Amino acid sequence: MAPRRSTGRSRSTVILLVLTAITLLTLSGRGVGALDSTRAAVTSAVSPIGDAARWLFGPFSGAWNAAFDHGDLARRNDALVQENERLLGQLTQASISTQQLQELLNLVGIPFLGNTPVVHTRVVSGTIGNFGDTIELDKGASAGVVKGMPVITGQGLIGKVKVVGEDRCTVELITGGSFRVGFIVIGTSAVGIAEGVGRPSILRGTNIDVAQTVTEGQVVVTAGLRGSSFPPNIPIGSVKSVRSEEASRQTLVEISMFASTRDLTYADVVLWTPGG
Amino acid sequence: MNTSIRLMALLLTAVVLQRFLFDQFRVDGVAADAFLVLAVTTGMVCGARRGAIVGFFAGLVLDLLVVTPFGLGALAYLVAGALGGLLEGVVVHSARWITMLVAFVASAAGVLFFAVVGSLIGTAGMVEGHLITVTLLVGGSSAVLMLPTRRAVLWASADSEPFRAAVHS
Repeated sequence: MAPRRSTGRSRSTVILLVLTAITLLTLSGRGVGALDSTRAAVTSAVSPIGDAARWLFGPFSGAWNAAFDHGDLARRNDALVQENERLLGQLTQASISTQQLQELLNLVGIPFLGNTPVVHTRVVSGTIGNFGDTIELDKGASAGVVKGMPVITGQGLIGKVKVVGEDRCTVELITGGSFRVGFIVIGTSAVGIAEGVGRPSILRGTNIDVAQTVTEGQVVVTAGLRGSSFPPNIPIGSVKSVRSEEASRQTLVEISMFASTRDLTYADVVLWTPGG
Repeated sequence: MNTSIRLMALLLTAVVLQRFLFDQFRVDGVAADAFLVLAVTTGMVCGARRGAIVGFFAGLVLDLLVVTPFGLGALAYLVAGALGGLLEGVVVHSARWITMLVAFVASAAGVLFFAVVGSLIGTAGMVEGHLITVTLLVGGSSAVLMLPTRRAVLWASADSEPFRAAVHS
């Protein structure tokens, strides 16, 4: 009888744990605040370990990652060389360039965020584990950072604040695909929804009315529609490819992000909340 | 010091190792997973039930450190820990590589479970091309790290349940 009782106890323990995990998943899906508070406290508690590791292993991990990322480094180097050549070519047209720049700014349309204040932060850590594109910043609630605030670099949107500790916050990168952003295509009436696909610097745009004409190269910025988690006019990227689906009456686009989410050193948290 | 406290000490060690070491040194963007190694090894050393329990708590700690849906790590690592115990129970051991293979399979299953369930509950970008790389690299690192971790788990569970003879071999 004893082994059977033991087996029954084992089974009930495991079932109880499975149910607990499912309950936690459900609570997480409903956005229960206590879970975020707990995460924030743990993030703050373990951040010194990350700081120490960064201080101790920084040079070594840089060399290590470069060694295992050689192909990617070569591709990025090629891209930079091409970009450099293109920019050198543009320098010969200096007088025209100034005018073109002004036109481009007018085309993009808008002062980048206007007078909305930002908090300048330093990136202190990358993703923990293997899922969920995140970075950790060295500012938190004490600097006015609140959950859900947009995070940008000089080039545009990179993510939003997910967890806030007293002096730290964790940012969910848009490339991870765990949240969506409403966007508009500059120069058109097209609106859509952008989300990450797990690839660096590439987003997928969906839900664009098929009647709208969208072409490659057009600039995409946050829509900031009512109820949006983001203010309007934060640059996101440019349209890389366009595909229409007649069946679902929508146009799908691939968006090449302006901002890089790799090797980030600094980022700004936009002190903006929906309705605020 | 009883088994639970010792296992808790191992879990805290896993937090430090993950944050201090494994997250700093990645291969193709993939880091070894100390929590998964602990869950699977505990399952292999102490059986499926304890593997499930330790897996649950190891995954819960991971959930506190990342921004994926809360509870996903607990569920996935519970499965991995239990699977490690079940596989260890049915496999006939004749060589160390078979034990490592069990760790590889259980860890890979944990990663896949995490990604698939995460995707099913609406987290985008989890099931895509890079998942194969993540699965293989995490599975491989777990197979290697299981060997030193096994000693630690044996120490932690020394006064609790009888161990599997194969694990001692």
